[in-house]
Amino acid sequence: MDQAVELGTLEREIYVDATPETVFDVVSDPKHVREWWPDEASYDVTPGATGQIVFGDPEAGGGVVALTVLEVDRPRSFTFRWTQAPGETGVEGNSLLVTFALTPEGGGTRLRMTETGFREMGWEVAVLEQQYREHETGWDHFLPRLATYAASLDAS
Amino acid sequence: MTADDDLWSAIGDPTRRALLDILLADGGGTATTLAARVPVTRQAVAKHLTVLDRVGLVHGTAAGREKRYRVDEAQLARAAAQLESVGSAWDARLQRIKKLAESIEKNTHTKEKDNG
Repeated sequence: MDQAVELGTLEREIYVDATPETVFDVVSDPKHVREWWPDEASYDVTPGATGQIVFGDPEAGGGVVALTVLEVDRPRSFTFRWTQAPGETGVEGNSLLVTFALTPEGGGTRLRMTETGFREMGWEVAVLEQQYREHETGWDHFLPRLATYAASLDAS
Repeated sequence: MTADDDLWSAIGDPTRRALLDILLADGGGTATTLAARVPVTRQAVAKHLTVLDRVGLVHGTAAGREKRYRVDEAQLARAAAQLESVGSAWDARLQRIKKLAESIEKNTHTKEKDNG
């Protein structure tokens, strides 16, 4: 078993060849977030605001969960809670806590993501996450959308 | 608590993860042999083994005056796969974040060049 995996907390980081401001907008603004994660995202990028994200078609086995924005510090960090039931405010014990931390590096940005709350939430939420992942069906689903999105940016 | 919650908290403890690693490496062990390898008492090791046994991560069989424990690799693989899966979900998301941000940035620069 991989000892680097601290069960209960996920940590990932990636270098992005774009300014912290651009990366911040991509990880926080619903109009960008729906391009890399859920199918729909609607919430105000304001601390305390609760909105929702939608995976697939809710009437065909998709999922709707709430997302509560906790911290908005452009371009340094963006923190939110998700997986609580629609309409509920995310607090410790009912949701997963995600933090994006951004630091300038070279001409780009070092992006660090941590997701915690698995131990408090228990096993079921990890299964939930897995289901969402399966729902996304990876690159087959994503690549055509990325191409369309990139083309629309070029056209604007 | 569901059975899965118990499994999660059983595996969440660093001493228990160390015990699992030793049991995997050695192919098995007793509370006494394990206590020689970790900085806790034999009694504490015995308690941790009981927790691991209860959720099916290890199985104990009588060996003289002590129980000899082995890892249930199927149950352990199941636990690891679950978090692994969540981890790969974020790996894929971060790759998409990277591509999006970089395409936006490139587009902005191209526009600036065109305008300038």
